[in-house]
Amino acid sequence: MDKQGAAYQHIGRIRRFYIGCRFAVCLLLALSAASLLGAALVTLFSVSLLWVPILFLSAFIGQLLYQKPWIINYEAILNFLNLHYPDLQESGNLLLKKHDELNLLERLQLSKVEESLTNTPVRQKQFLKPLKQAGLVLATSLVVGALLITLVHRKPGTGLLGAVQQASKESKTTEKILPQITGVKLTITPPAYTGKAKRTQDKFAIEAEEGAAISWEISTNTTVKQVSLLLNNKQNIRLKAIDADKQTWKVQATVNQPGFYQVNIDGKLSDLYAIQVMHDLPPVIYIKTPQPYTYIDAGEAQQVNIRAAINDDYGLTGALIFATVAKGSGEAVKFKDYKLDAGISFDGHKPNYDLQKLVKLPALNMEPGDELYFYIQATDTHQQQSRTDVYTVSIQDTAKLLIMDGIVTGTDQKPEFFRSERQIILDSERLLKEKDSISVVQFKNRSNDLATDQKLLRLRYGKFLGEESESDIGGDDNNAVSDINNFGNADVIKDQYTDKHDNAEDAGFFEPGQKAQLKATLTEMWKAELQLRLYKPQDALAFEYKALRLLKDLQQKSRVYVAKTSYNPPPLKLEKRLSGDLSPIKSTSLKQDIKPEADQLESLRKAAEILSQLKAGTSISAQQQQILNPANRQLSIRAAAEPGSYLAAMNALNSILSPNKKIKQSDVILVQRAIQKALHAAAKTPAAGQNSLDMGLSQQYFKNLNRSGQ
Amino acid sequence: MMQNNWNILVLGICLAVGIAVLLQEFRRDKKRLLGWRILAVIVAVVALACIAIPVSYQTEISGSGQSEAVLITDGFNPDSLSIYKNIKQFTTDDKIKARYPNVVLLDELNSISVDSGIIQLHILGDGLSEYELSQLNKLSISFHPEQFKQGVTAVNWNARIKTGDQLQVQGTYKNSSPNKIKLLLEGLGTSLDSAFIKPGATAAFELKNTPKISGKAVYRLLTISGTDTVDHGSIPFRVDNTTPLKVLMLTSSPDFESRFLKNWLSEKGYAVALRSTISKDKFRTEFINMPAISLENISGAVLDKFDLLIGDLSALKAISPQNSSALKTAVTQNGLGVIIRADSTAGNSWLQSSFKTQSSQGRDTLAYPILLQGNQQPLAALTTGQFFIKFKDGIQPLVTNTRGHLLAATSLAGNGKLVYSVINNSFSWALSGNKVDYAKLWSALIQQAARKALPAESWDVTTDLPSVSSPVDLQLKSTNATIATVGEADLSPNQNPLLPFEYHYQYRPKTTGWQLIKAGNATNWWYVYGDDEWQSLRKLKKQADTRRYSISHPHATGVTKPLQKKATILVSKIYAYILLLLACTFLWAEAKAAGAATTSRKGQL
Repeated sequence: MDKQGAAYQHIGRIRRFYIGCRFAVCLLLALSAASLLGAALVTLFSVSLLWVPILFLSAFIGQLLYQKPWIINYEAILNFLNLHYPDLQESGNLLLKKHDELNLLERLQLSKVEESLTNTPVRQKQFLKPLKQAGLVLATSLVVGALLITLVHRKPGTGLLGAVQQASKESKTTEKILPQITGVKLTITPPAYTGKAKRTQDKFAIEAEEGAAISWEISTNTTVKQVSLLLNNKQNIRLKAIDADKQTWKVQATVNQPGFYQVNIDGKLSDLYAIQVMHDLPPVIYIKTPQPYTYIDAGEAQQVNIRAAINDDYGLTGALIFATVAKGSGEAVKFKDYKLDAGISFDGHKPNYDLQKLVKLPALNMEPGDELYFYIQATDTHQQQSRTDVYTVSIQDTAKLLIMDGIVTGTDQKPEFFRSERQIILDSERLLKEKDSISVVQFKNRSNDLATDQKLLRLRYGKFLGEESESDIGGDDNNAVSDINNFGNADVIKDQYTDKHDNAEDAGFFEPGQKAQLKATLTEMWKAELQLRLYKPQDALAFEYKALRLLKDLQQKSRVYVAKTSYNPPPLKLEKRLSGDLSPIKSTSLKQDIKPEADQLESLRKAAEILSQLKAGTSISAQQQQILNPANRQLSIRAAAEPGSYLAAMNALNSILSPNKKIKQSDVILVQRAIQKALHAAAKTPAAGQNSLDMGLSQQYFKNLNRSGQ
Repeated sequence: MMQNNWNILVLGICLAVGIAVLLQEFRRDKKRLLGWRILAVIVAVVALACIAIPVSYQTEISGSGQSEAVLITDGFNPDSLSIYKNIKQFTTDDKIKARYPNVVLLDELNSISVDSGIIQLHILGDGLSEYELSQLNKLSISFHPEQFKQGVTAVNWNARIKTGDQLQVQGTYKNSSPNKIKLLLEGLGTSLDSAFIKPGATAAFELKNTPKISGKAVYRLLTISGTDTVDHGSIPFRVDNTTPLKVLMLTSSPDFESRFLKNWLSEKGYAVALRSTISKDKFRTEFINMPAISLENISGAVLDKFDLLIGDLSALKAISPQNSSALKTAVTQNGLGVIIRADSTAGNSWLQSSFKTQSSQGRDTLAYPILLQGNQQPLAALTTGQFFIKFKDGIQPLVTNTRGHLLAATSLAGNGKLVYSVINNSFSWALSGNKVDYAKLWSALIQQAARKALPAESWDVTTDLPSVSSPVDLQLKSTNATIATVGEADLSPNQNPLLPFEYHYQYRPKTTGWQLIKAGNATNWWYVYGDDEWQSLRKLKKQADTRRYSISHPHATGVTKPLQKKATILVSKIYAYILLLLACTFLWAEAKAAGAATTSRKGQL
């Protein structure tokens, strides 16, 4: 009994081990899912990191519920052991039976098996296998997650990682400050348009929005007489002492221009500190629909859906659609301006807005043939405006298309059937108008008839392109063969019945462009026919109009204007040609001197040579200083404009130029780098080559060569 | 000569010192051990002289014996030393001496050749420089170099360029390592260009940059393996400003092409004279940056005032016959350049005889990018019309387009050059604001044609990679030469016997960096490299020099060598030092003993 109890407990241990393994598997799988999903979410959607533990928890619980490791019972464990340990002789299950229920044989068998049962190891290798697999999954998901985070390009400052990088970058630069200064408190108040809060910093280098108010509060360790700020080497701002000891000084100024400044305490100047100004950019508008030029065909809905995205760096206060409708043609064009509001509220002054507006053209009194010009103008919180290009929407003028003017009055070179597309349109419109008054069968029949007309028309045009027709449509009845006069004329018969395949493609003698347009026309006719056959004359109408428009264009193209000529020039007298007396005509002569433009950057170009000669550990000579001084002025102009890239170099050059200091190699390299950056490539100018000096040897050689050649 | 003077000087001084000291000896009160003292003094003076003057003696030696020696130089393989275990081993490098204490350190290579016991010298390692080899006094050597594995094997660059020109550094690199090698051109603290050499490859490289600076500059070529800089070398060069040319332009009618060309040249400060025909014998002339002269008659005197003539073919053909022959003389004799802008004029004048045009098949009105000879990067596209130049012998292509049509070519005409161009609408570039390509095209054409300047004198440094460790040969080409100065040193010229206008100066630089040499009006800046730069090139040069020396001074083999030979054997200076020390010790000890004797005697009294 004792032993049996021990064996039972042993099985219990194995079960617990199994459950532990399962729990661990769930944990690992949940971890890998959380890391993978978390990495994807954080990198691609910039989701906060807080989501990762939540993901992990939910995955873990999900796994547990799916696997249900606690469900395993003793029987399953014993079955497993029976399978894997032949020593048990398939009799492990006897352990679960009550002692009284066992018969003699079973009891004997149990006592035989019990020993080996207690000897089976608790740590079953089989149980560890899924654990290993889960570990592998976790490792791969960690690698993939890490790759995701490193590979996916991130805009600085948008996500968590970017912010960390920026912070580390900021903390990297250390400033040199005057020994008297114990502390500085800079308060930057961004202007109202940015909507940003006031911020303070303990560094002199300033990065502020355009128009920001900056107040310096400098505290010193001793009483000083005078503290001032020297802006861009020109402007002087005095600080006021705000305490009796004259140890705390304060001043406020507004920053509009980038540049640099120094702190001046009793005549001692500090290092240069950069002032970087972030300018407010005007809003950016991107129109997604419609296209810059939109053409609304007859039959299409007369409306425009304007969709645009408007972005700004701080905030937007409004956007308007400026529309102009042009009516009429020729000299009678009239314009009318409309201001359409964007249809969204800009109260939030948010930086991004999506504009969507449906403009119904009839609401603007637009009729076929009219054109709409519009542009979008957006205003940001800094009252900066920007506008898009002008977009055009025009509605097709069907009336003009149906006018017969050009066709009736001009010489009509086209056969009669060219006009019937217009007829089909008129018929279709009439059919639509009468739709309600006629029976359905009748409507369908008429629609089908129209389709047949359309088909015939298409086949006729197809002939021009050399298309093979299914029947001889349009062939006149009194053809040449049946003419009595042609009796026995073999050519006429041949002409009628032979296949002139060799020039079938060029049957119409059309130019390729014209052919392409004809083909396009046929396509439209096909589509129109299809709609008519489906009893949808309304839909067919659009294609019919298109076909007509193309045909009209074709007609216009084939017209050529040749002006009447009547001018007869008098014949030339060749003996008089070019024999006029030119002696009174004086040759003109012009003389001028053009000085080449002085190179503004010459001083920097020259400075590079001096810099390369400077050796570390020595101090500068007066002559070198003379050449480097103008370069210093150039560099300070640059630094005022772009302190971020040139201020460090200017500091370095100042320390090189100070006569008592030893030159540092790092300073020289810094200045050299700035010079390379500031200079633009020198323009190429032609120059003569040089002969090598030979005391006329080659001349002599050439002379003798000539002599021998003669 | 110097050695003789030195010997005489030393002997004289020693004699004087000896006599003076001997006189002192005789004057001394204490005459105890006088004979010994005199002997000691004489020995001391002789020993002193022997320290200053190398003493040698002649003896008969047999051919075998210790006739060989090994000179170990930098870069040798330590394993190869074992073969020469029983032979005398020398070195001039104190680092090798520190590692192998039984190797003899030499101050001067001279001492090997002076010791005539050595008949043959084995040189291990990278060998010796040309200067060091000259100190061996034609001693026969056999050279056992190590195989060259890694580094720049050749490099060259255009060390004197004009403003706006490209600096091109070209060379080859041998990379036996399993790593990729990065070659980086660095200037003004900025990386300018880079190239990669594959592992286990020997490849050519080219690094390019257009310097933005003017004057002298030193860029650097860094060899980077992984993140380590393995080798580096200075690339010194000079950027000179261009001197404006004088250009004469003739056109048969006023046209845009010449107008834009004139404007471009004149705004760069060039002297331009432009004559365009406006009617029969009527011209419109313009003079920019130069005094007005009469251009009615393009005579030889007029042409001599200009470096370059640019004209369209019909304008050039319209000049009178005697002026035409004057033009021919100016070109062939005096080296005037002519740029001929082709038009439809047919004919066979000497100006167009070298260049035949042909028209392209079909109407091709498309614009194709233009390629300048020797420049991979194409310029903007340009429509060039139907005609292009047919390639034939004797002309050099200058400008082609990407269809392979030759648009401008040059040929020699005596001293001068003719450039023939069918491009007649390059002004469209200038119009569209593409000034860079316009400048490149016309610079290429003008540079090719312009009359070459003849300098009064020119300097060259004929030594590769001048350094402070060896003398540098500086060459001056001039009609007459004077004493040249570098820093404070005066150098005397050495005239080339075959080319009388060539003079050589020898100078041993004291410092690295830019140096100025001056001889009369001829001045030149040249650069002295640090000893740590261009290691691989120096190694190769040493190996090549030593190999050449070993071939020209082969070791006489056993058959031709006499068995017995008179040899000069150098007496080691250590004996002289020991003698001097012994003599001085004796003199000192004797003086002490004599002093002690007197004092003790006094004590007794």
